[in-house]
Amino acid sequence: MASVFGSLTKIPELRKRILFTIMMLGIYRIGVFVTVPGVDREVVDKFFGSSSGSLFSLFNMFSGGALRQMSIFALGIMPYISSSIIFQLLAVVIPSLERLQKEGEMGRRKITQYTRYGTIVLAIVQGFGVALWLESQRTNLGEALVPDAGWGFRMMTIMSLAAGTAFIMWLGEQITERGIGNGISLIITAGIVAALPDALFQTFTYLQKGVMKPFTVLVILVLAVAVIAVIVFFERGQRRIPVQYARRVVGRKMYGGQSTHLPLKVNTSGVIPPIFASSILLFPATLANFIDKPWMQDIQAALQPDSWTYTVLYVVLIVFFCYFYTAVTFNPIDVADNMKKYGGYIPGIRPGKQTAVYIDKVLSRITFGGALYISAVCVLPTLMIAQFNVPFYFGGTSLLIVVGVSLDTVSQIETHLITRHYDGLTGPKGPRIRGRSSRG
Amino acid sequence: MDASATPTLGRATGTPGALRRWVDRWRGRRVEYDLRHYLPRLARVLGLEGELRAADLRARADRLRERARGGADLDELLPEAFALVREAGRRALGLSPYPVQVLGGLALHQAKVAELETGEGKTLVAVLPAVLHALSGQGVHVLTFNDYLARRDARWMGPIYELLGVSVAHLEAGSGPEARRQAYQADVTYLTAKEAGFDYLRDGLRPPGAPPLQRPFHFAIVDEADSILIDEARVPLVIAGSRAPQAHQAARLCALVRSLEPGLHFETDGQGRNVFLTEAGLDVAERELGRGGLHGPENAGLLCELNLALHAEALLRRDVDYIVRGGRIELVDELTGRVVKDRHWPDGLQAALEAKEGLRFGAAGEILGTVTLQHFLGLYPLLAGMTGTARGGEEELDELYGLGVVVVPPNRPCQRRDLPDRLFTHREAKRRALLAAIAGAHARGQPVLVGTASVRESEELAAELAAAGLGCQVLNAKTDELEARIVAEAGAPGALTISTNMAGRGTDIRLGGADGGRRAEVVAAGGLYVIGTNRHESQRIDRQLRGRAGRQGDPGVSELFVSLEDELIVRYGVDELLPAARRARQDEPLADPRVRRRIDWAQRVIAGQNFDIRRNLWRYSAIQEVQRADWRARREALVQGAPPAPSRWAAARPARRAALVAACGAERAEELERRVALHAHDRLWTEHLAALAEMREGIHMVRLGAMDPLTEFQRQADLAFQELGARLEADCLEALERLEPSAAGLERLAEELRGPSSTWTYLVDDDPFRDRMGLRVAGDLALSLGAALYYPLYIAGALVERFRRRPR
Repeated sequence: MASVFGSLTKIPELRKRILFTIMMLGIYRIGVFVTVPGVDREVVDKFFGSSSGSLFSLFNMFSGGALRQMSIFALGIMPYISSSIIFQLLAVVIPSLERLQKEGEMGRRKITQYTRYGTIVLAIVQGFGVALWLESQRTNLGEALVPDAGWGFRMMTIMSLAAGTAFIMWLGEQITERGIGNGISLIITAGIVAALPDALFQTFTYLQKGVMKPFTVLVILVLAVAVIAVIVFFERGQRRIPVQYARRVVGRKMYGGQSTHLPLKVNTSGVIPPIFASSILLFPATLANFIDKPWMQDIQAALQPDSWTYTVLYVVLIVFFCYFYTAVTFNPIDVADNMKKYGGYIPGIRPGKQTAVYIDKVLSRITFGGALYISAVCVLPTLMIAQFNVPFYFGGTSLLIVVGVSLDTVSQIETHLITRHYDGLTGPKGPRIRGRSSRG
Repeated sequence: MDASATPTLGRATGTPGALRRWVDRWRGRRVEYDLRHYLPRLARVLGLEGELRAADLRARADRLRERARGGADLDELLPEAFALVREAGRRALGLSPYPVQVLGGLALHQAKVAELETGEGKTLVAVLPAVLHALSGQGVHVLTFNDYLARRDARWMGPIYELLGVSVAHLEAGSGPEARRQAYQADVTYLTAKEAGFDYLRDGLRPPGAPPLQRPFHFAIVDEADSILIDEARVPLVIAGSRAPQAHQAARLCALVRSLEPGLHFETDGQGRNVFLTEAGLDVAERELGRGGLHGPENAGLLCELNLALHAEALLRRDVDYIVRGGRIELVDELTGRVVKDRHWPDGLQAALEAKEGLRFGAAGEILGTVTLQHFLGLYPLLAGMTGTARGGEEELDELYGLGVVVVPPNRPCQRRDLPDRLFTHREAKRRALLAAIAGAHARGQPVLVGTASVRESEELAAELAAAGLGCQVLNAKTDELEARIVAEAGAPGALTISTNMAGRGTDIRLGGADGGRRAEVVAAGGLYVIGTNRHESQRIDRQLRGRAGRQGDPGVSELFVSLEDELIVRYGVDELLPAARRARQDEPLADPRVRRRIDWAQRVIAGQNFDIRRNLWRYSAIQEVQRADWRARREALVQGAPPAPSRWAAARPARRAALVAACGAERAEELERRVALHAHDRLWTEHLAALAEMREGIHMVRLGAMDPLTEFQRQADLAFQELGARLEADCLEALERLEPSAAGLERLAEELRGPSSTWTYLVDDDPFRDRMGLRVAGDLALSLGAALYYPLYIAGALVERFRRRPR
C-alpha cells in the first residue's frame, strides 16, 4: 500500500487518472447539495429529521444522502442500476437481446446504449413519482414541502431529476474510462463514505461535551480497524485447486511459482446475501406504514433492527442466501464439464462427475466459512455499537461495499504499476498498437 | 486518358446515400467515401503531366531525392513524385495510373487502407507512394499476398522504378541469407508479410558478429490488407530449432483411438473444435493401456498424447483441413484454400496426425521465437493497406492498427449484378438447383466459376458434373501447380471451373479466354457467372468471390446458393431459430426474407466473435511483445559487443577463467563467454514462451475467483519476466562452471550452441481465450444493488439461466 501511494507521484499517467477520479467524485458531491427547484429546503430538512429505519434509509444510503436533501441527484445512480439489471434479465428471456449479446463487442455496446435509454425512461417515471409524492407531503406543522404545486413543478422536477441521473451516469462512465476503478461503484462508495466526516465531527463534539468517554472512542476505533482487517483478509481469501491441461507435451520446466489453478473465493456471493436479507426484513416495516392493523404493528415491532428476532432472522437469511446464491451462479457440473471439454483436470481426479463432486464438496465447505464471516461482519459491529451507544450507524453492508470497492480500486492501481513498463497495453480506446495520426 | 478528366467521385458501387452515411458516422463507422478533399492535390499531380512529357525523369527524380534527404516534407514532394511515376509508367509500360489510382495512392500515402475494386490495378497504385517514400532512402516494403505476386509485381513494375533510379528487389521463401540482405538494402522491396516477419525473428537469433538482414522499418504497404491485417492476424509466426523426431507411442495410441466409438467413447463439442473422452472411453483407454488411472501425476505425458491422437482422429479432416501429398501432410488454409508451406499444427498434434495417416514422422521442433503478424506489422512506423474488401473490417482496422478506410471509386462503374441468395431447406434441393444453374449457363455459352468450401466438396461437385456430362476444371489445393493455366481459360465461352477459396483474392479472370479473343461472345452471354455454394464465415470473403466477376466494368453475375443444412447454418444454430414450418423439406427455393436475415445475423455474430478473439489475442500478447522487445534489445547489445554478464564469473573464479584462457586464448575465451551468454538468453526466452503459453491455457479460470483474467495474466507474466532476468546470470555462470577447458569440451559446447534451423507458422487450432465458463460471479456492485431492488425478479432470472445452462 505504502509503495502504491509512493509511486503515485512518480507516474504521471496514474496521477492524472487518480486526480481525474477525485475531481469527478468532487463534482458529484457538490451536486448532492443542489436542491430541486421549487422545493423548500428548510422544510425538507425538518420533514426528514424524523423518519428512518425503512427501505427509505437503504435507498438514501445508495443515493449518498441525496434523497434526504431532495437534491437534483436524489434518484442517484439507482435508475441506471435498475435499467442494467432489467436488461440483464431481459437478455435471458428475449432472444433478440441474447443474440445482440453474442455479437461480440458491437452488440454489447448496443446493449449498453439501450441501458442508457432505459435509465432515462426509468428516471422520468421515478421523477414523476417523486414530484407527486413531494406535492402531497407536509411536515407535522402543516408546512407544504412544495409551496407552488402543479404541472410546472412536476415538469421541472422530472427534468432536473432525470438530468441529474443522466449526469451521474456520465460521471461514472467517465471515471471508468479515464479515471481509475469502476465509476458506478466509486460513486456509490463516495456517497457512503461522505457520512464519515460528519460522524467523526459529531463524535468529537460528544467527546468534548463529555457525553462519551475517551476509552469508548478508543475501543470503537480498535473495533473498526479490526473489522476492516477481517474483511480485507476474507475478501482476498481463496482456495486454489490445482488444474492441469493435458494438451501440451509436458516436461517443461515451470517457474514463476505459478501453476494453473481454479480459485474458489471464500465469499463467492459478495454483498448480495446481506442486501437481500436486509431488504426482505425491511419490507414488513415499510408495509406497516400503509397497513394500520395491530398485528402488522406487532410484526414491525418484532423486526426492529435492534431486536433479537431481527438479528437471528438476519443471520439465518444471510446464511441461506450465501448458499442459494452460490448454488445459482456457480454450477460445479458446469465447471467440471468445461474443464473436461478443454482437456483440463485436477491431478488424481477423473474429469466429469468425480471432478464435479470434488468441487462441490470444497465449495460447500468454504461457503459455510464465508457465510459465517459475512454474518459476523454484518451483525457483530451493530450489536457492539449498540452497546456503546455510538451516534453513527456504519453497518456491515456499507463496510463490505466500501472495503470491496477499495480493494478493487487498489488492485487496479497495482495493475497500472505493473504494466507501467509496458507502454500502450491499455489506452483510452482499449488496446492499440500505435496511434497513427494522418499525415498531410 | 485525358489529364483534365476528373473521376466521378462518390459513385463507387454500394456507395451509401447521404442518410446511410450519416447513420454510419453516428454509429462511429470509420469509412471515408467523400474524396473531395483530395481533389486539389490530384489536380496538381495531373497538372504536371504536360510538363513532364519530354523531361529527363531520372534527373528530376534525383533532384527530388536530394530534397527528400535534405529533410523536405514529403507532402511538398508528392505532386511531382506522383507525376513522375505516372509519366514513367507511360514510358516504360504504357500504363499511366488513372486519376482514381492516384487517389488510391494519396490515401496510401496518408497511411490509410484504400478499398479499390478488383481489377483496378492495385499493383500500379502501390508504386506511387512507394517511390515517394523511397526517396529518403529508408526502404519501403510492399507486402504482397504470396510469393508469386512478390516476384511478378517486382518484375512487372521494375522498369518504372528503374526509370526513376529507384532500386527494387523481391525475395521469397527460398531466398538465401545473402540474397535477403541485399534485397532489404533496396529502396523498394517486394515480399510477403510472413517472410518479413520470419527475417525479423531470424535477426533476433543471429550469432555475434553477423550483420542483421533487415534495416530499421520505415513504411509498409500491405496488399490484400483485410486478409493480412484481420484474417491472418492471429497466425503466429514461429522460428524453431529442430529436434529429432520422437515417435513416442503415437502409433499405438492411434490404433487405440481408432477403436473408439464416437458418441459412446468420446464426444465433440458443437463447434467441432474440441474433443474429449467420456467415462466409458476413459475406462477403455485405461484398460487397454494398463497404466492405471490416466489422471494421476505419473501419466500426464501419456494422457496428453492420447488427447492429441484423439484430436487428430476426430477433428482434423483429410481433404478439408489438410491434404496428403508426397508422403507429407500439407495444411490447407481455411481462408485462401491454398496449401500453406511450412505450416504446422502445434505441440505434438502434427506427430499425432502423421501417425493417423501412417506417414513418417517429420521434424519436431521447439519454439525459439514467435511474433504474431498483428504485432509485427505494428513495428512499422508507417503502415498503409489496399484491398478490394475493406468495408466490414473498418472497425477492427481502426482499433488494432489505427488505420482509416478510404473507398476509392472504380475507374468504370461496376456492371456486375449480385443476385440475392437462393435458399433451400435441404442440401439435396440445393445440389439439384446448382447443377441446373450450371448446366443452363454452360448451354448459353456463359463461363461459370463455382466457389466451394473445401477440397472435398470441389471434387464431389466435379464428379457430379462429369456424371451429368459436363466437363470442368478443378482448381484446389491439390491442383495448385495448374493454377495459372486454369485461371487463364476460366473466362472462355462456356468454360466451367470449380474452385475452392483459391479463386478468391488476386485471381484475375479475363473474359474471352487467355488472349481475350472471344470476349464479345462472352459479353453477349452476360459475362462471368460466379456461383458460391456456401456462405463463408466472413462476408468479406463472399464479396471477394463475387468480385471475380465484373472487373473493369465488364458484365457479370454472382449468386450464392445456401441450404439450411450447410455447416455454417447448423453450427451457429440458425436452423433452430427458424419457425418449424420452414424446416419442412421442399424443392423450391425459400422466399421468406426472415431466413436471409437470420443468415446475415449468423455471419455478423461470427464476425463479432472472431473480432473478439483477435482483440483478446492482441490484449494477451501485448505484454509478451513488450517483453520480447526488451529481451531483444538486451540481446542486441550482447551481439554488438557489450561485455557479457559472465565477466563477473572471471572475477569470482579467476582460476577457472585462467584455465580457459590458457586453453584457447583470451579473445576466444571472451567470445565463448559471449556465446554462452547468448545461448542462455535464447534458452530462457524459449522457456518463457512455453510458460506463457501454459499460463494462458488456464488463466480464464480466475474468473471464478471474481478476478479479471487479463489483469491476472499480466501480473503473472510480469512476475515470470522479472524472474527471467535474475535467472539469466545464474544460468550463464552455471554453464561456464560446467565448461571443460579442453578441446573436446569446447567442441561439445559448440555443438550445444547451434542456432535455429527452421521456420514455420502455426495454425492456431482453437482460441484459448474464449470465455469458456459463462459464469458470472457477483463482483459487480451495481448488479448486487440492482438485485436487491428486484430480488424476486433477479432470483427468477438467475434460476432460468441456471436451468438453461444445464449440461447436455
